[in-house]
Amino acid sequence: MAAVAAAMVLGTAGCTKSSSSGNSSSAGSSSSGSSSSSSGGGQQQVQTAAGGSGPACTSTKYGAPKLDLTKVTVGFSQSESTSNPFRATETKSITDEAKRLGIKLIQRNANANVSQQNTDIQDMISQGAKVLIVAPENSDGLTPALTAAKAKHIPVLTIDRTVKGTACSDFIGFIGSNFYKQAQISADDLAGGMGGKGEVAVLQGTSGNNVATDRTNGFTSQIKAKYPNIKVVASQTANFDQATGQKVMEQILQSHPKLTGVYAENDTMALGAIQAIRAAGKTPGKDIKVVAIDGTQQCVQDVANGVMVADVETNPRFGPLAFSSLQKFYGSTGTSTKVIIADHHFTKDNAKAALSNGDVY
Amino acid sequence: MSSQTTAPAEDVAGGVTETPRERVFALLQRQGGPVVLVLVVLLASIFSSGFASSGNFSTILVGNAYISLLALAETFVIISGGIDLSVGSMFALGGVLAAWGMNHGGSGVAVLLPIAVGLVVGVVQGSLIAYARLAPFIVTLAGLLFARGLLQAISNEGSTTYLVPGHSVFAFLGDGTWRPILTAVALFAIAAVVLVRTRFGQALFAIGGSENAALLMGVRVRRTKVFVYMLSGTLAAVAGMLNASRLQSGVTNIGVGYELTAIAAVVIGGTILTGGSGSIYGTAAGVLLLAVIQNLIGVHLSQYGSSASDLVNGAFLAVVVVLQSFLARRRAL
Repeated sequence: MAAVAAAMVLGTAGCTKSSSSGNSSSAGSSSSGSSSSSSGGGQQQVQTAAGGSGPACTSTKYGAPKLDLTKVTVGFSQSESTSNPFRATETKSITDEAKRLGIKLIQRNANANVSQQNTDIQDMISQGAKVLIVAPENSDGLTPALTAAKAKHIPVLTIDRTVKGTACSDFIGFIGSNFYKQAQISADDLAGGMGGKGEVAVLQGTSGNNVATDRTNGFTSQIKAKYPNIKVVASQTANFDQATGQKVMEQILQSHPKLTGVYAENDTMALGAIQAIRAAGKTPGKDIKVVAIDGTQQCVQDVANGVMVADVETNPRFGPLAFSSLQKFYGSTGTSTKVIIADHHFTKDNAKAALSNGDVY
Repeated sequence: MSSQTTAPAEDVAGGVTETPRERVFALLQRQGGPVVLVLVVLLASIFSSGFASSGNFSTILVGNAYISLLALAETFVIISGGIDLSVGSMFALGGVLAAWGMNHGGSGVAVLLPIAVGLVVGVVQGSLIAYARLAPFIVTLAGLLFARGLLQAISNEGSTTYLVPGHSVFAFLGDGTWRPILTAVALFAIAAVVLVRTRFGQALFAIGGSENAALLMGVRVRRTKVFVYMLSGTLAAVAGMLNASRLQSGVTNIGVGYELTAIAAVVIGGTILTGGSGSIYGTAAGVLLLAVIQNLIGVHLSQYGSSASDLVNGAFLAVVVVLQSFLARRRAL
């Protein structure tokens, strides 16, 4: 009997680490089929100012053989469970765009396990992938996979998180959000909601990748520089996870009863924090202001309802931009080694419209 | 009871007359893991194109080489009737300590520090279980938390990832294709010999079968228990250390839930969770079976999302374990 129990526990173990908001919306607004229309939320837009902020990288410079993308297999390694809407939308966007372009795509999901991701990547190489798109679970743990890819002259494009190493040598480059800027915008939103004064708590993301680090530093430095009457009284990790977010928030509320603001580094933690605030008999949006980053449906809904002050989007629709970067990589112009996307910013003024337009994932 | 051990001598001396039918069941129960493994590999080779390639096999083997050592450690503990929930955390801690040691003293420290810490944590856990008579489940759960806490403490709440220079001696240790595979094979072979041919191994079977009987037989129960948790802690830390060498960094959020995978591999390999029966090569088969299934799920189900992968993974495990406990019960009747 105990044996069965162990197996049952294991069955669920695969997804316990990934952040799940319980809202696996089918991402209706993702890029399926459409070419790069300039509609509001759907497509990723390259930030004009920072458009091609890195030097151009071509396959010749990288040391990779010239390829026709439609004639080879492309591998996609997803880092975390698709029970998280961000991951689901990202995977769908890549899959849809490959289908639209007639590119053969194989994929793996490492379920938040960096060892597994190394195996996944090497696995796809041995399965014949000639180009790789990787959403890294961790910034520092993918050396074996990157080394294996490099040895076989297989270029790797990283999306949504960075990896250590040299661009255009260990990997092509990075496409993703400016996490530091996201955090600065959140700081401004929260300060605005709090009237420029009060005590704030920070719910940090999973450590060991650049996302959480940038979102912490961007927020605290912005508060320090611009809002002298706001004090960050607590800053703890809740692993990008809803249940953990709730637990950590409960503890913070007990030790800091005068708290009037919360900054969660992703949406799922914000949802947990809101539950904790309600359980403590306070009203989120009134007694305690909440801001977060990611722009998933449930949180944007909360912004529209006034439960949250604002939500900064992290656009997961990487498909069109990733494949166009790869095409440029094999062309003569090359692709930028650092493509920063322009993310939406949902406030009370535009949240409702964004939801009804289907711009929110 | 005595026929439950896999030690060859015991099998013959079991003395209970078995019908051919019972013998088949007994064989299946003990060999279930290897049999299913061979079956799955054969079927996959036929129906899954690209599965039976040297590249794919070496990926599976290398990717699971160090994690398999956790199942190896767990096998010893479970045969003795205990359980070690701390191996996943110790794996992570071993890696971070190694990478930390690399940055604070070099390759020697990187190797020795994890071994020392794993050994000490193991001895403390073993002593609490053997001398203070605390439940292994609780003690090693505390160990799990302690190891994770220590990891957080030296890595700045997990935000500092210590890196291992790629050209160092330590990075060479766990790198490559053959080194991980051969290290795992060698350690499994040594473990098999230790379990079957040494007094320590036999003592584990005796304690797992019946602690009181073992005591009456003159087995040093408490000392053996301390030793088995020491072995488990050390092995888990070494596995983490080698993995850090391979990844060239002390990844801080690694190893969560690994203890459950290790326990599952042990159980699939035919080792009974209540202790007293089991084998190393069964565990090897269990590890490989889980790895092959993971590989197949990755190839065929990734496109359908994580829920489909988790569902199949869970369902498959449930089937294997239910089948095994069914067979085990048939034997006991």
